[in-house]
Amino acid sequence: MTPVQAWRDGLRRVAAAPSIIVGVWVMTSLISLPLALSLRGDLARHLGSSLAADAAASGVNYEWMQEFTDQASGIGLTFRPTILGFGAVLDNLSAFVDNTARPVLIVGAAAAYMAFWLFAAGGIIDRYARDRVTGVHGFFSASGVFFFRFLRLAIVMFVVYGLLFGYVHPWLFDRLYPRLVRSVDVERVAFSIRAGLYLAFGLVLGGCNLIFDYAKVRAVVEDRRSALGALVSGVRFVRRNPGATITLYALDVALFAATLAAYAVAAPGAGGAGWSMWIGFGIAQLYILARLCVKLIFWASETALFQGRLAHAGYVAAPQLAWPDSPTAEALQR
Amino acid sequence: MRLLGFSAVLLLSFAVSPSLHAQVGGEMTPPLSLRNASYSIDVRLDPATRTITASEVITWRNITSRSVDDLRFHLYWNAWRDDRSSWQRERALVRTPPRDMQPGDRASLDISSLRVTGSGGPVDLTTRLRFIAPDDNNADDRTVLQAPLPQAAGPGTTLTIEVAWTAHVPRPVARTGAVGDFFFIAQWFPKLGVLEDGGWNCHQFHASTEFFSDYGVYDVRMTVPKGWPVGATGVARERRANTDGTETLRYYQEDVHDFAWTTSPDALERTARFEYPSLPSVELRLLLRPEHASQAERHFEGARTALRLYGEWFGAYPYGHLTIVDPAYQSGAGGMEYPTLITAGTRWLTPAGTADPEDVVIHETGHQFFYGIVGSNEFENAWMDEGINTFAEARVMDARQATYYSQRYFGGFIPFVFRDIRLDREHMWNRLAGYRRAATTDRQSTPSYRYYPATGGLITYNKTALWLNTMERWLGWPTVQRTLSTFFVRWQFKHPTPEDFFHIANDVAGRDLSWYFDQVYRGSSTFDYGIQELRSAADGGGRFRTEVVVRRYGDATFPIDVRTTFDDGEQVTEHWDGRERWQLYVYERTAKARTAEADPARVLLLDVNETNNSRTLRPQGEAAATKWSLKWMVWLQDCLLSWSVFV
Repeated sequence: MTPVQAWRDGLRRVAAAPSIIVGVWVMTSLISLPLALSLRGDLARHLGSSLAADAAASGVNYEWMQEFTDQASGIGLTFRPTILGFGAVLDNLSAFVDNTARPVLIVGAAAAYMAFWLFAAGGIIDRYARDRVTGVHGFFSASGVFFFRFLRLAIVMFVVYGLLFGYVHPWLFDRLYPRLVRSVDVERVAFSIRAGLYLAFGLVLGGCNLIFDYAKVRAVVEDRRSALGALVSGVRFVRRNPGATITLYALDVALFAATLAAYAVAAPGAGGAGWSMWIGFGIAQLYILARLCVKLIFWASETALFQGRLAHAGYVAAPQLAWPDSPTAEALQR
Repeated sequence: MRLLGFSAVLLLSFAVSPSLHAQVGGEMTPPLSLRNASYSIDVRLDPATRTITASEVITWRNITSRSVDDLRFHLYWNAWRDDRSSWQRERALVRTPPRDMQPGDRASLDISSLRVTGSGGPVDLTTRLRFIAPDDNNADDRTVLQAPLPQAAGPGTTLTIEVAWTAHVPRPVARTGAVGDFFFIAQWFPKLGVLEDGGWNCHQFHASTEFFSDYGVYDVRMTVPKGWPVGATGVARERRANTDGTETLRYYQEDVHDFAWTTSPDALERTARFEYPSLPSVELRLLLRPEHASQAERHFEGARTALRLYGEWFGAYPYGHLTIVDPAYQSGAGGMEYPTLITAGTRWLTPAGTADPEDVVIHETGHQFFYGIVGSNEFENAWMDEGINTFAEARVMDARQATYYSQRYFGGFIPFVFRDIRLDREHMWNRLAGYRRAATTDRQSTPSYRYYPATGGLITYNKTALWLNTMERWLGWPTVQRTLSTFFVRWQFKHPTPEDFFHIANDVAGRDLSWYFDQVYRGSSTFDYGIQELRSAADGGGRFRTEVVVRRYGDATFPIDVRTTFDDGEQVTEHWDGRERWQLYVYERTAKARTAEADPARVLLLDVNETNNSRTLRPQGEAAATKWSLKWMVWLQDCLLSWSVFV
């Protein structure tokens, strides 16, 4: 199977399982919602019955936003103009590549979100590997089975990503970069150097990400119990298929970039508080759905490639999972 | 000083209007200033070692009514000689000193000889020089040099002072230094303080204040590598090639109080001309970095706009030429003013609709008026140049095309313009948000060099712009314009004090504004008025009883209007002197009240909390909160997705 075929197959597999897309979107929204409601309460309290709300409702009341942020704490500090439209995407992407600290509550939400993905990963990859409907029962069975295996893998991932963002990134951007541009008096040159460092860091990050992805895929497809074994086999697969895996990863990254580009054009502005607000929110949710699909396509296409290259096509080694009956049912059967 | 009537001021302004002066090649005829401190300097730059070797002859005249038995010089560059100077100590309160300092990054200025010639023959004072620290007794500070005179110099005495020195050009710090082949040389020569009737006004170099010096004639010969373009205060008069691969350029300017220069082999030169029917023309010279070649016209547009509007509002720019320097990346030299020379500051990617480079050019060009021509004491009263200029800059920016909020991402390189947020004068250009955070940190009347370094600028720039704009909205633009133009004309090429400004403001306004200046200048209280209660209920007789409680939350007072709007469209506006803590207004109407607003015209721009200025019985707070929390939720979802790459 070529990378392009795997990529197209990945697209097909994701499209064939809309309930997974809906499910991860619901979870993304559910984790965001409590904080959004909390912020909404803060905003409403600050506005009270002020006429400032009228301007804020009909457009942007930047003066009020500044007043609010000046007295805010916690997540309120993130309520800045950069949440608007495509600026929000740039803000997050820039914060990610520049390793910018976020408030504790945001980090907490992100941790919960990653825990959700860790749990759901087994079920999602299992669904894409089987390439057939597994149902709620099968999905959660697989998720439950692989959660603890992935939890062990997550320890390795935590260490690796921790090293990358805790040591490598600060070394590259806080120590090496200032040294490299120390005597640079042309901004374009400085940017080229920084872009080069982004690329270098991105390649390392992407490489790790690629290996961890195939570790998860192999763990599920081959029903591996050992997280370390899955990791080693992930490395082995990438090493033996470097062209295919990297090309496929690049295709997925290109899809991610295309998604961002599309949203850059379609991202809603401030708008009003009536129907335009909901239209804007709807467009933004389509973007979030697209981002989620891209993430799922990474896994689905990698699963397809692995199955096409190494495993029997469409074959999943893991036995059909059966949820155990309740102790009461088992007692009755005896 | 006795105040003149307004008509007399107008007559005076015509009598001394700079536009009636002839200027050719840096000469101003007749003289515009007393020219009591003139400098003739020879300087050689060695780019390889980043060293300058120089000598100067200062012709100084005692224009005070007192005798003086010493001379005091600013040696600014010694502030960056080590970490023990007052400048470094103050800066350390604000930011961590750079970790990667290398020995060659430091600056130094060492005087090798100093001779004074008065009525007798020349006297060598080199061995009698000593550093003093009049502001804080910091024995490690070497930014003020005292030279005891062999005999007191009485009023009217003229001294000739010959100084030779060497200096090391630092890595860029506080708008001075070198990066790559770009050199910006400012605050660089031993410069006399200002002798006043009360003695020498020669402050140490502090982290947030910079200038004060007398006017004179500057005749400076700079030797640089051959072919390196030079930009400097004044006009180039000579260019002489030397046999050692260097060339010497002579720049000359009369009636200025400082001299700065720059050189870089990479600079592109562009020229343009400012012309406007009622104002003298100005030759514009732009030294541009190659990567900004496409932005030349944006720089010129900013300069032209400032020269026109400042010229119309306050008075004409008299020098006939202005050099704009686009500084190199990381030079830290951007956004600075020197007589007839300014530094701008732009970025490689600067989309239309962003503030710079136009804004920085407007601000620094504006300093030619308030700093260059009106020579206030920036050490002590920085608001008189920075604050007044920020007010005027905001007014100019408001008169230009729309500018939008922008943010830079990815290490600060990639800009993004938020077209939903147009920057307005009242809040953005007056920099209200910054002032709100620092409103009580210092009284503005505190000498500026004593402000807390982290917030001093907010009191200097932001607060002044806000209180002047408040005056404009309260007393009207004609009154404020006449105040500033009178101040400009009366104090051009002189050293005004804050009281001089306040006297003119009182005189032009025709009333005593001291109570206002006591609060905004001599005090640090905040202004905050708000509507505490708005109730409107049927009284049973087919009428509605409306109660409005307006409250003064801040300690400062200001008269405000209180407007109540009823459902039938009727509006009632009360005028409250704002002195008590609260005021109740009661209305009996056939219509129910809809809104109540304190200061509905937003006259008091210093009010630190605008949200509480109004109440409505049809609040939109919930709707607005829903809208903005949904937008924030999308940001959060996207944020979470960026973290999901780890799983």
